[in-house]
Amino acid sequence: MRYHIENKVYHVEILPPKQDSENLERDLDVFAEKYTRVMDSGYCACITDNAMGHLSFQGTEMIEELGLPVLPEQVMIHLNTFHTREDLDNILSYCVEKGIKYLLVVSGDGSERLPRLKPSDIGVQGTESITSVELLQYITREYPGKFVLGVAFNPYEPEDHEFAKLKRKLWAGASFIITQPIIEKNAVVDKLIAEYPDVPVIVEAWMSKKLHLLSDAVGYTIPENTEYDPIATLKLLHQAYPKNGFYLSLLGFKTQYDLIRDLWV
Amino acid sequence: MIAKTYIEKAEYRNIWVIGELLSGEIQPVTYELIGAARGLADARQCEVWTVLIGAGAGAGAGSLFAYGTDTVVVVDDSRLDGFQDEIEAKVLVRLIKKYKPEVVLCGATTRGRALIPRVAVMANCGLTADCTGLSIDPENGDLLQTRPAFGGNILATIRCPNHRPQMATVRPRVMKALEPDISRVGRIIREGILDTDADKMKRIIEIFHSREGALNLSDAQVIIAGGRGMKGPEGFRLLKDFAFRVGGAVGASRAAVDSGWIPYAHQVGQTGQTVQAKLYIACGISGQIQHLVGMQSCETIVAIDKDPDTPMMQMADIAIVGDIFEIIPEIMNELAKS
Amino acid sequence: MKIVVCIKQVPASNDAKIDPETKRIIREGQKAIMNPFDTYALEEGVRMKEKYGGEVIALTMGPPKAEAVLREAISAGADRGILLSDRVFGGSDTWATSYALARAIEKIGDVDLVICGKQAIDGDTAQVGPGIASHLDWMQATYVMAVDSIEDNNITVKRMHEDGYDVCELRLPAVLTVVKDINTPRVPTLKGRLAAQKSEIPVLKPEDIGADPDKLGLNGSPTRVVKTQPPEPRQTDTLRIEGSPRECAQALVRELKFRGLV
Ligand SMILES: Cc1cc2nc3c(=O)[nH]c(=O)nc-3n(C[C@H](O)[C@H](O)[C@H](O)COP(=O)(O)OP(=O)(O)OC[C@H]3O[C@@H](n4cnc5c(N)ncnc54)[C@H](O)[C@@H]3O)c2cc1C
Ligand SMILES: Cc1cc2nc3c(=O)[nH]c(=O)nc-3n(C[C@H](O)[C@H](O)[C@H](O)COP(=O)(O)OP(=O)(O)OC[C@H]3O[C@@H](n4cnc5c(N)ncnc54)[C@H](O)[C@@H]3O)c2cc1C
Repeated sequence: MRYHIENKVYHVEILPPKQDSENLERDLDVFAEKYTRVMDSGYCACITDNAMGHLSFQGTEMIEELGLPVLPEQVMIHLNTFHTREDLDNILSYCVEKGIKYLLVVSGDGSERLPRLKPSDIGVQGTESITSVELLQYITREYPGKFVLGVAFNPYEPEDHEFAKLKRKLWAGASFIITQPIIEKNAVVDKLIAEYPDVPVIVEAWMSKKLHLLSDAVGYTIPENTEYDPIATLKLLHQAYPKNGFYLSLLGFKTQYDLIRDLWV
Repeated sequence: MIAKTYIEKAEYRNIWVIGELLSGEIQPVTYELIGAARGLADARQCEVWTVLIGAGAGAGAGSLFAYGTDTVVVVDDSRLDGFQDEIEAKVLVRLIKKYKPEVVLCGATTRGRALIPRVAVMANCGLTADCTGLSIDPENGDLLQTRPAFGGNILATIRCPNHRPQMATVRPRVMKALEPDISRVGRIIREGILDTDADKMKRIIEIFHSREGALNLSDAQVIIAGGRGMKGPEGFRLLKDFAFRVGGAVGASRAAVDSGWIPYAHQVGQTGQTVQAKLYIACGISGQIQHLVGMQSCETIVAIDKDPDTPMMQMADIAIVGDIFEIIPEIMNELAKS
Repeated sequence: MKIVVCIKQVPASNDAKIDPETKRIIREGQKAIMNPFDTYALEEGVRMKEKYGGEVIALTMGPPKAEAVLREAISAGADRGILLSDRVFGGSDTWATSYALARAIEKIGDVDLVICGKQAIDGDTAQVGPGIASHLDWMQATYVMAVDSIEDNNITVKRMHEDGYDVCELRLPAVLTVVKDINTPRVPTLKGRLAAQKSEIPVLKPEDIGADPDKLGLNGSPTRVVKTQPPEPRQTDTLRIEGSPRECAQALVRELKFRGLV
């Protein structure tokens, strides 16, 4: 992860098409185009896993089916707890085979159509449900040395609770952190960086103009009519967090992509 | 059977209730249906009949008169041990053809919903599912059947103008049983089963009685329910403590169940259970219609939410605005004092 | 084994709106999905095929666009799909729907097992499965939570009841309706989805399945929906409690005690 920060490599989020896509061919093309563009720019493509509980195709399937190249420093797969054991192992072994080493391990959002890992699936006892902590333990145990594992940090959750969770996640094998999106300098993120000087922290910047979506994602209310300029915000965040990496969520490839090229200086 | 004219329809008379038996015991839904049937029979000036089919079905027959039945038809045969829907359906169709009831009501239970559609197809008549209202159209004597559809978003009124009998199912705890009147009397008719009724027989290998899988939320007097606002499995641990304190059960919204915070058996709503508790405390549940249809007939509804304007907060009897994680511990403190 | 899985296309959400003029349900513009309960029926069929060999056929009756759920079924493991679509089928109640599906199953021929979902989330009746069994005069098992074995033309299943469950054996051919406890449906793969897009889906009309048009659609339906309306809201004067958490808790407990609820 240090490599990304030192070389100013953005983490660019890309969402695979949804299962119920009405125009799958088009969506596949768009995905391939975005992915290729991220590769060409030297950035790191971060492929989500059924984001917000929407049933979508897997990043690994997309890479396989579309024959996309894997540059090990430039691909990160998100992995949540909504999989069958079999699917989980398929995804992980595919990653090993293709040299995908960065995983962002999250609990994730479920939906009725998504299976959820059961404690018995991955040999865990004494808990009713699997969270990212158990999933991290499973991956480090079954695939030792194969992956560089990251976890999410939510500065909007009660602080003590979130720091305690983070401690468990790091203990379970995580070695880098990506925050939930922030739109200005954030005291909790500052504290995180101060408390874990040795762990790379990637700050997530919200690149959509639609702030209400951010409210939904993080569960705290942002006044509806707040004016929001994502590019200006990203600039400010770079100034505020000069030593951190950046993860761009919902980046507009048509309108914003060319504007970010020279922002990180 | 097709019955279009007044004369054809007049051949069909009386309101029937198909009794629900579990291990030979008459279930409450039977009394509830008899209560509803009594009202219809009075409007049509006819009798209420109850049909009991099963091994050992005769035992409780006499007790039904007090609840409003005039006639009980008993089909008691050892071949009916366990739940033999194919046989029961054939027997019922035979009885319907013989006695020609005008209306047939059945519980919308797992057994009723297996049996009665089979009967309706064979008897060539319409069947309305999960009725919440039954009345007689004063103009033509047809049964008007009201039922929710689209997960409770719509109430549809359904009629079967050209077929008799008119058949309907009703969920448990929707209708009210009458106060028993032990001075009421009636007659019992015994019917048997024919070998041709029993040509398709299941081999029942094992029967397990357990209330665990079903987790009878529907019997609970107090339900403490949580939604997405509970934030995770820890939130539900808090609710379990709360429920334990007040002797209640824990319910949940689908959002909480789908997130894996609590098993599906706890889900209340359209795709979960329907409950009728005396007290329902909704914690961090916004109250989407699919949830409301499962709990809106609870007697007292309390909502706790930080958003004062959710549908749940609007429809609740008592609405508390605030953070659940701060309020629930205070409520438990307060309860501990007394 | 030749297995038919009956699948209904339903609106994605239940926010049915009523046209204030015509009092009819507005269905246009709604996104349509596979009935959630049918995903379990399909998965069970596909698992049986994987175990015992044979073929899984997805069958639906609906408008032309219902073809989409058949493609989804194929991407999740069905071998082929059949669509019953014609104006004459329109307006069918559960009697007529199960009649049409039963005729199609006969037409397919040599079917060993029909699997349905427990119920559809729009019509919500749970009547079509047993209705099909009745029209075919086959045995049935409803609310099936597990299929234990299939041997010598007998199938052993676990049926869920309010007071527990039973294990019973029935003769094939038979109809099952399944609940969500039965399995965890697989999520379709991209590969499967791309293949499904290419498969041919035959569209059958009443004459193709030898159905009597008088038993189909509105004509063949004994039930008539005479009126639809939104439900009456629950009438309440809400007592609003605000203040510090302690004040709220005190006020609530006082009120519940007053009402004799705790
Ligand atoms: C076909 C179909 C069938 C369905 N069947 C069901 C069903 O059977 N049962 C069911 O429940 N749903 C069902 N749903 C889903 C339903 O539409 C809703 O999505 C679901 O009920 C929402 O759950 P919720 O109220 O917990 O979540 P939300 O709507 O997200 O509500 C969460 C609430 O918690 C509050 N909150 C958050 N944090 C706090 C805090 N700290 N303190 C206080 N309050 C807080 C928020 O203000 C909000 O009001 C179905 C949907 C469909 C389409
Ligand atoms: C408001 C409203 C109320 C209604 N009330 C009634 C009523 O009380 N009685 C009545 O007879 N009809 C009623 N209907 C009509 C009923 O919805 C239709 O007949 C519908 O085609 C099937 O019924 P269902 O949706 O209840 O399915 P269910 O019986 O709940 O479906 C069970 C299973 O049968 C299979 N299945 C159902 N439909 C199809 C299909 N088209 N293609 C393939 N497989 C299928 C699926 O496997 C499904 O999981 C009503 C319709 C509306 C709009």
